[in-house]
Amino acid sequence: MGKGYPTIAFYPEKCNGCNDCVEACAQIKTETSEPVHSRISVAKDPDDEFYGLSLCRQCGDPRCVMDCPARALTKNEDTGVVHWDETKCVNCQICTLACPYAGITYNRITDQVMKCDLCNGDPACVKACAPMALEYKIGAEIYNTWGDLEDLFVPGVGACLGCNSELIMRHTLRRIGPNTVVATPPGCIPGVGSVGVNGITSTKTPVFHPLLTNTASMLAGVKRYYNRIGRDVTMLALAGDGGAADVGFQSLSGAAERGEQMIFVCVDNEGYMNTGVQRSSTTPYGAWTTTTPVGEALQGKTRDAKPLPLLMVLHSCEYVATAALPFMEDFYMKLDKAIEASKRGMAFIHIFSPCPTGWRFDPSQLIEVARKGVETNMVPLWEYENDLGRINITHVVNEPLPVVTYLKSIGKYRHLSDEQLVYIQRKTDERFELLKKFTKESKLEGLSDAA
Amino acid sequence: MGKILVCDGNEAAAWGVARSKPDMVAVFPITPQSSLAEYISQFVADGVIKADLMDVEGEHSVLSVLQGACLAGARTYTASCGQGLAFMFEPYFRSAPLRLPLVMSIVTRDGITPQSVWGGQQDAMTVRETGWIHMYCETCQEILDTVIMAYRIAENRDVMLPVNVNHDGNYLSYGVEKVELPEEEEVDAFMGEKNTNWHVALDPDRPMGVDPLTGGAGGVGPSLFVSYRKGHCKGMQNALRVITEVHEEWGERFGRYYAPLVEEYRLDDADYAIVTIGSMSGAGKDAVDAAREEGEKVGLIKIKTFRPFPLQALRDALAKVKAVGVVDRSVSFAWNSGPVYQELLSALYFLDNRIPAVSFIGGLAGADITIDHFKRVIDTTARTLQGEVPSECIWLNEND
Amino acid sequence: MPSAKYLIIGSSHAGLCALDAIRLQDTEGSVTLITRDESLPYSPTILPYVVSGDADPEKIFLRDQKAMDHLNVTFLKGETVTTVDTKAHSVRLSSGESLSYEKLLLATGATPVLPPVTGLEDEPHHVLRTLDDAMKLRTALENKHTALVVGAGLIGMHAAENLAKIGVDVTIVEALPHVLPDYFDEDGASLIQQAFSDKGIKMHLGCTMKQVARSNGAQLVTLNSGETISSDLVLVATGVRPSIDYLSEADIEVDQGILVDDRMRTSADGVWAAGDVVQAPGFFDSEKRLNGTLPDASEQGRIAGMDMVGDSALKPYKGGIGMNTYKFFGHRAFSIGLIKEANTGSDGREEDRVSAPDLEEDRVFSPASQRYQKLVFQDDRLVGALSINTDLDPGVMFEVIRRRIDLKDMKAQFVDHPQETGRILMTKVWR
Ligand SMILES: Cc1cc2nc3c(=O)[nH]c(=O)nc-3n(C[C@H](O)[C@H](O)[C@H](O)COP(=O)(O)OP(=O)(O)OC[C@H]3O[C@@H](n4cnc5c(N)ncnc54)[C@H](O)[C@@H]3O)c2cc1C
Repeated sequence: MGKGYPTIAFYPEKCNGCNDCVEACAQIKTETSEPVHSRISVAKDPDDEFYGLSLCRQCGDPRCVMDCPARALTKNEDTGVVHWDETKCVNCQICTLACPYAGITYNRITDQVMKCDLCNGDPACVKACAPMALEYKIGAEIYNTWGDLEDLFVPGVGACLGCNSELIMRHTLRRIGPNTVVATPPGCIPGVGSVGVNGITSTKTPVFHPLLTNTASMLAGVKRYYNRIGRDVTMLALAGDGGAADVGFQSLSGAAERGEQMIFVCVDNEGYMNTGVQRSSTTPYGAWTTTTPVGEALQGKTRDAKPLPLLMVLHSCEYVATAALPFMEDFYMKLDKAIEASKRGMAFIHIFSPCPTGWRFDPSQLIEVARKGVETNMVPLWEYENDLGRINITHVVNEPLPVVTYLKSIGKYRHLSDEQLVYIQRKTDERFELLKKFTKESKLEGLSDAA
Repeated sequence: MGKILVCDGNEAAAWGVARSKPDMVAVFPITPQSSLAEYISQFVADGVIKADLMDVEGEHSVLSVLQGACLAGARTYTASCGQGLAFMFEPYFRSAPLRLPLVMSIVTRDGITPQSVWGGQQDAMTVRETGWIHMYCETCQEILDTVIMAYRIAENRDVMLPVNVNHDGNYLSYGVEKVELPEEEEVDAFMGEKNTNWHVALDPDRPMGVDPLTGGAGGVGPSLFVSYRKGHCKGMQNALRVITEVHEEWGERFGRYYAPLVEEYRLDDADYAIVTIGSMSGAGKDAVDAAREEGEKVGLIKIKTFRPFPLQALRDALAKVKAVGVVDRSVSFAWNSGPVYQELLSALYFLDNRIPAVSFIGGLAGADITIDHFKRVIDTTARTLQGEVPSECIWLNEND
Repeated sequence: MPSAKYLIIGSSHAGLCALDAIRLQDTEGSVTLITRDESLPYSPTILPYVVSGDADPEKIFLRDQKAMDHLNVTFLKGETVTTVDTKAHSVRLSSGESLSYEKLLLATGATPVLPPVTGLEDEPHHVLRTLDDAMKLRTALENKHTALVVGAGLIGMHAAENLAKIGVDVTIVEALPHVLPDYFDEDGASLIQQAFSDKGIKMHLGCTMKQVARSNGAQLVTLNSGETISSDLVLVATGVRPSIDYLSEADIEVDQGILVDDRMRTSADGVWAAGDVVQAPGFFDSEKRLNGTLPDASEQGRIAGMDMVGDSALKPYKGGIGMNTYKFFGHRAFSIGLIKEANTGSDGREEDRVSAPDLEEDRVFSPASQRYQKLVFQDDRLVGALSINTDLDPGVMFEVIRRRIDLKDMKAQFVDHPQETGRILMTKVWR
């Protein structure tokens, strides 16, 4: 399998256009402060406070390399840097046509092209960037670390276009590995074929259909027996919100209270999607579902979503976290911790899982929708570690977007009235304030006392 | 010769569990099973039962954890009844088609409503069509012995089905008798190898998809589904033989012989017979003895194994008499009679001659079925030989 | 008969990109790569620089043998494919040997065409398509003083400039009224022509060559105007045509080139084609046409490879867009998309091709500073960009066109600040 390489990430919202990066680059490359020599440049939107970055992305499959007729550009397999060999370059400029990011540009003073070489792994621009809009990142760290592991679900499962659950299945199980018993209670996950059909399974680990109601109990039984005979086997539940927050809640709550050792992942798509989009207790206020329809008398769900992850914190689980797939590193960090915690007790991960089919949005927008959920603070990303006894917000959103930016991107909220929008904004703020009370920054002494 | 105990049926069951050496037990208390739950917990605490005890939050989870453990390879035990069994129904229903060799006591209790916490076989009879093996005990000794035998039956490779060992709430659960506790080594020798999940397992060393979607309108689904159902029926039929063999072996090893399927009591020269199930059989036999003294040619047929239905054994017994009176301790609402009666009618169909059969229902919600009640049963059945056949079921405690 | 799972004919951009795409997915399946050249793979685009000496002919190779071994590829040099049998799934080589394939890629590029000129066939003349051509031209130039370049397309212009740079006295003959007619409008071409004549290069525009004959060791060329030019050497660069001679008996649909769909599939089962040899759907309309540029050859090669190996990440070909960068005497130019179809020139005169009246253009033409910028829009989308000596990023402009980005209310801003706005747009799409 291939390899992911370092790159310089850019956070436009943090950039203030100071151009210190440009100067730093010119300095280190030419010992002048002439912007013309800089391999990095920042474009400002004249109307908008938005900055655009021109810098080599050190692409994995670089077009400039493909299109260079002189083989003056090559991708270094070890460092990942797209290397420009001045001695071979014939100055034909075709590379500047190949790069959509203006990552390799023409310098009219030297009459040559120039590009970033990552300063041997210590980029001057990043060091110069006070607002930290530039970050030197080992991109694809997840891929490098875990990419060689086997995908334990077969290819070609029958999920809807743009299904988030499929991503969750593959990532989670790949990370956790084959020494695992997987429980997938009725819902979308077995619906797409986790346990298979007619004797043919789609999963390379032991996998089963528990009942919608007894996932945590069955896994607890499996685990207890393996403990008894001294075998270390991981238990993993991939359950929907119905199987976790509703009809599955009793057994989950019981198992959490008893400290059963397992990783329980709730794939929260905010309703019963597999049976045709009916409401669940985690369906948010105002959302359309087939059982909270929109008409003269009703405008979607009339109650707020059950805050399942917080309830799990109050069960004194070993580990509780929320996750969303646009924030993969955050998710993998949480999987790591959950694996460890599950050796001591219950590790519960609640994954926000937008559903293009049931929520009515374009499948191509899956990650974008999930990202907006987080960036509006509707779905804060946090974790709770029992031994620390408090919640830690793992992805701080400095300036949360208004909830409308999220709600407007999803069909199930299309009907919302202004009053409903105001209500959702207020509730989102309130819930976030409540959550903050459980964090280190708050005055509460720690949850272990509260729980 | 093992140790002699004086104990009630719930304790006898717990001793049976102790000798069977399960890996995992899970119990949730419910009257009249509660003291059994307590005995089990105490035995675990005392190290008499060396199993993991799972104190879960309800019967639904009780059976769920045991199913999980069994799929990992554990031998398991639990007990419940009445509403507990009703709450357990969802996992209960899939235990047998999953072919899990679970053993569970039902300390039978009548069903609510009306509210009642007393004995009656309505609970066990209501779940008779779920593919579990059901055996009914008559005495505390039989409870202890049958719990142990149940594992041999459940784990037999020709069977692989869960077993309910049923004993009557109140009358057996709290009734104290002299009981012999077989020696541990002798039971170990009888039990042999544990055999729980060779056929279906949740084990990373043998990964498999347990219970994929099966069936559908076409393709391989329907025939695959049929093959599961037929396999299950076959296991049930095999169980008739296995139950018989295991009971014989038990008798040889421990000197206590029980009729495995159907017991015939003073039947060979009888003109007619009464049919009983469970603890009432003792009173029934006393009543038969008394009637015999008075010259009535009456015998008794006791059903021990109700599931699988002992068709052949029952036919053979019924062929010996010219009339029967059947006493049920539960109600088959649809048939205006008792379930044992209703199913016995099916067995009668296979006889050469049609004989009269009368349905009696007694002992509901803790009511006693006394020798006097049985006298009425015997009289009524005897009169059918003169053509006096009641048109309806007779409710024994109706006018007590 | 030896066989290959993947057989690739042609080891230039299209063939190599296909190879990489195949190996990304299938590291095991056997691959055979064939070229009629005697050398390792190289790009024809490098050849003018080989002629001028800017590129060392030893160092121009796109892959070395080690790379081939690393990719586990059987590389056959100096082998020409003579026929393809699509029924038998086999090809025949000039050596007489046959090879069978499961999947075949035809990436045989293009071959120069000679104009109908009396005497040309018998007179020594040069073309520039292969390394062999370049080496011959290089040697021929030794102690030659004058050269005549016929055709002012990219190849001719590159060659002319590079010859001038090594001190050769160069004359260009072009049939159309201005140079580089495929890429630049008259205003653009005028700036280029100015630079060329400033360097002493003579241009005969709107002229064709009638005849060539030998006189006193030199070659005497007669133009249609009657004018005669004496030259030590003649380089013919009047165009190319797809190299498809070996397909005359094959059951594969061809027009001017091999006809392919948006996955580079030909009409024959198991046969793909890519690069200069194909006639592929256009970007602005679906009519299939020759494009013949390097970026297009690599893009098509990549798509063909991905489709051959069944890569699910494949996105179908969006269609060919005419484009090129052009560096001349220290000036920098590029041209992308519909730059000649708009309707006005610097003095408001009608341009030569008025094919799409709904096009809107924005021009900044300053001959004094030798700068020219032209942006062409259709329905608030960029469809063409031309630049001489401006800071515009060709890659960004190309991507804005290729993604058909609807600029909507950003259009005015784009017109005022195309470089910044383009870069911001690309930052947003990257994320
Ligand atoms: C002088 C010059 C300058 C150029 N400048 C530019 C430029 O600035 N920008 C630009 O975009 N493009 C330029 N081009 C065009 C560019 O080089 C081509 O578009 C590109 O090389 C096409 O690649 P290809 O893989 O399709 O074919 P080619 O590069 O033509 O390669 C064809 C391959 O097929 C092989 N082959 C052909 N027939 C057979 C056969 N029968 N059997 C075996 N092998 C065979 C050849 O040996 C060769 O390996 C230039 C071309 C030339 C000649």
